[in-house]
Amino acid sequence: MAEYAPVDLTVENQVEFELDGRRVAAPAGTMLADACYAHGVEIPIFCYEPRIGPPIGACRMCLVEVEGMRGLQTACSTPVAPDMVVRTTTDAVKEAQDGVLEVLLANHPLDCPVCDKGGECPLQDRTFKFGPGTSRYVEPKRHQPKPLNLSHRIALDRERCISCFRCVRFSQEVAQDGELTMQERGARSEITTFSGDPYRGRFSGNIIDVCPVGALTSIPYRFVSRPWDVQNTPSVCGLCPVGCNTELTVREGRTKRVTGRPEPNPAVEEGWLCDTGRWAYDASWSQARITAAVVREATGDRTATLEDAVDGAAALLRGRTAGILVGTAATVEEAGIAADLAGGALPGAVVARMGIPGGALAPLRALPGAQLGDVDDADLVVVAGGDPSAQQPVAELRLRKARRFGATVTGCGPRPHALEALGTFIRTAPGDLAAGVASLAEAIAAATRPVVMWDEADLAGEPAAAEALAAAIAANPAARQLELGAEVNGSGLRALGLPDAGAVLDAVRAGTVDALLLVHADPLDAPGRAAWDAALEGFAGPVIAIASHADATTERADLVLPALTMWEQEGTLVSMNGRVQRLRPGARGPEGAAAGWELLVALAHRLGVVPGYRTAAAAFRAVTAGRPAFAGITPEAAGVLGVPLAAPAQVAGASAPPPASGEGVPLVATRTVYGGAAARRSAALADTAAPAELRMAPDTAAAHWVNDGDRVVLRSSSGESGRLTVRVGDGLPEGVVFAPLGAPGSPTEGVLPADMAPVLVRVARVEAG
Amino acid sequence: MSIQDQLKGFGITFRTMLSKPLTLGYPERKTPVFPRFRGRHRLWTYDNGLEKCVGCSLCVAACPADCIRVVAEENTPQLRVSAGERFARIYEINMARCIFCGYCEVACPFDAITLEHSYELSERDRRELVYTKDMLLAPAPKQAPLRAEGQRV
Repeated sequence: MAEYAPVDLTVENQVEFELDGRRVAAPAGTMLADACYAHGVEIPIFCYEPRIGPPIGACRMCLVEVEGMRGLQTACSTPVAPDMVVRTTTDAVKEAQDGVLEVLLANHPLDCPVCDKGGECPLQDRTFKFGPGTSRYVEPKRHQPKPLNLSHRIALDRERCISCFRCVRFSQEVAQDGELTMQERGARSEITTFSGDPYRGRFSGNIIDVCPVGALTSIPYRFVSRPWDVQNTPSVCGLCPVGCNTELTVREGRTKRVTGRPEPNPAVEEGWLCDTGRWAYDASWSQARITAAVVREATGDRTATLEDAVDGAAALLRGRTAGILVGTAATVEEAGIAADLAGGALPGAVVARMGIPGGALAPLRALPGAQLGDVDDADLVVVAGGDPSAQQPVAELRLRKARRFGATVTGCGPRPHALEALGTFIRTAPGDLAAGVASLAEAIAAATRPVVMWDEADLAGEPAAAEALAAAIAANPAARQLELGAEVNGSGLRALGLPDAGAVLDAVRAGTVDALLLVHADPLDAPGRAAWDAALEGFAGPVIAIASHADATTERADLVLPALTMWEQEGTLVSMNGRVQRLRPGARGPEGAAAGWELLVALAHRLGVVPGYRTAAAAFRAVTAGRPAFAGITPEAAGVLGVPLAAPAQVAGASAPPPASGEGVPLVATRTVYGGAAARRSAALADTAAPAELRMAPDTAAAHWVNDGDRVVLRSSSGESGRLTVRVGDGLPEGVVFAPLGAPGSPTEGVLPADMAPVLVRVARVEAG
Repeated sequence: MSIQDQLKGFGITFRTMLSKPLTLGYPERKTPVFPRFRGRHRLWTYDNGLEKCVGCSLCVAACPADCIRVVAEENTPQLRVSAGERFARIYEINMARCIFCGYCEVACPFDAITLEHSYELSERDRRELVYTKDMLLAPAPKQAPLRAEGQRV
């Protein structure tokens, strides 16, 4: 179980001590509870959770006898000492365990049959294993109204709480949102937020995972199933490039819950998930889900069976030169098979990937890379550009942990964000990240184990800054770089050697392709959409989309093939740090849908070229063969925890973006994982959906003759945005405007170029607020 | 084989020819069952009409034949079905799979399910053997007679 810290019994100079008459050893500083567990002795714990921070000894469950120490000691907070004599099964220990459990259960309602934790409850399991079996309490138990909504997604049952403080410590020390606290004393103690308002946090769902009783439960999962009704599948989250390892709880073919793994991946997420990753799963049966193939004809839309639709797609593509566009969330298998089509079933096809071209990032990516878990050991963590708290959520927790462990955090960037409070951050002017990087170079050179996190989107747009940062990292041989990626499987698509979408766009414009196949690609909702809008306007050939959800591009497509989502299909994703991890199918998809890779294989069959693979694993082997980045990586090697790519995923031949042109005010765009497309499709996350707002300082608003609440559109040299609502905020830098990417209708994407080059925009009011 | 053995055999034949037959004229006459006979299940309600079952699925966990399916839902002030926080929105027993072991009855923390005496469970279509909650809440349509104290058939 993940509740005990892993103990490395192979290090030298271990401390020897006696455990229940056995002579054993553990590294110095290991807590007794962990050392005993490593040697096969389970000491019951409730409040101890090594991932949260130092032990507090609140629950008294872990009492053991240590010779020479008066009374019983808490094993969770007693480090091993040389020649310590520890006894865990004596009468005194047993009596203490019985006593603690009897008191913990004095007010516990024992409503296990109606409790969502029942069956997977540490209190239940440990009472069964260590408890007295009877209670002397005959008095009535404390009763309180239940449940309370701690937030829209978390139910609090105060009767069941055993005051272990795990959730409070998570909020205070791990997420550091300062929301939760314990109120009152004794039998009246209860968990609540300081203000009494709902718990607002980007990581609030983790308190459900750490709660050792059923006091905190998930509202979307409330009464949905019991542990023996479900199958749990280890998988990976495909909503952002961090690649958190998740566990899917599946009942009757549907994903009913997503939790952190019981055996977390220390190199990535350490068991913590962001709220979007945890609750977005109901997007797989949302209104926008495409459940049947759509054929768009002059007489109107009609649905078709999958079989007919694939036949139709093959007929549309036969004899044509296709442009194939692979979306950033497509798996390695889907992208690889799509690339294979160009050599076989669709000769001459142009295959490209969506997302940031990133030609300027080559020097950075070539440097020695770090995994997120390596941040723990760093003495200096630099954040160059970006906003990890909004764009790579779980990276925020790793950063906060590094800070807790004593690392210095510093950074630079054009936008204010939640992590600036962790250290010295330099606010750079938009388009001038190089100035910030220059001022960080000295600190990087002076540190002994620095890790430099850099934002893909920000640095891709500023080649000078990327070059300067690469030079600064290269100057210190101990320094490692850690990419804060912008695209779910961007690394995977680059590792397959796919060129950027410009290749297909140019071919569409030049008329060298006369059909378009989109694999989870949505160019009409992505940066650079203005260019695609114009190109598709005059495109006469058929557009075939393989997609799981309706978006602007499926509206335009002539044929839509329904695909499975990341909760339903097999595949491989490569995280922003080049970690190859496998998606495992949890739920079944809708009747009329199939996995993207299966649709592509079926298409190849129909076009007369039979691919040499029939399973996702075989497809992975086939499409990664001969790609140096994937050398030595097989589905088996990726295993449950994934492996890093053999070589950095580089792009060849991409050019660096030009500096901002035109006139107006600089726009800083931020991708939002919270409130992005997945959150909008999920009923559970509806209240987190990012509004389409343009934020600016009061002086900037005055300079553009707009007020708070006005509806405006932006115009840049790349195109025009959709409507945004002006929000004037204090504390924002002047002379710059901020807008989110991924807001409903993708308004901001219209003014941005695909290469994320800095843009200047003109603000035009269309409606007074 | 001696003549004595033959006479012994025919003796049994003649004796039983004169005694009352053991067979019953089923279905006009039904075998009475013992009080602890385990037959068709029944779900129970309290006197105020609320269901005893809270949809906790413990019967599902106990069932060795995996023949029970429970999907629970939360009681709301508008729709209060059971006495607890939750109720069984779907409660199905597949009688084709059930082995009438009675573990569900033992597992139930609310005495919501019992195995009754009715044993006439044949249908013309096996799909009709999946009994729904409404069917289980109602008394068995075909009741079986209970064997009286000391009664012999």
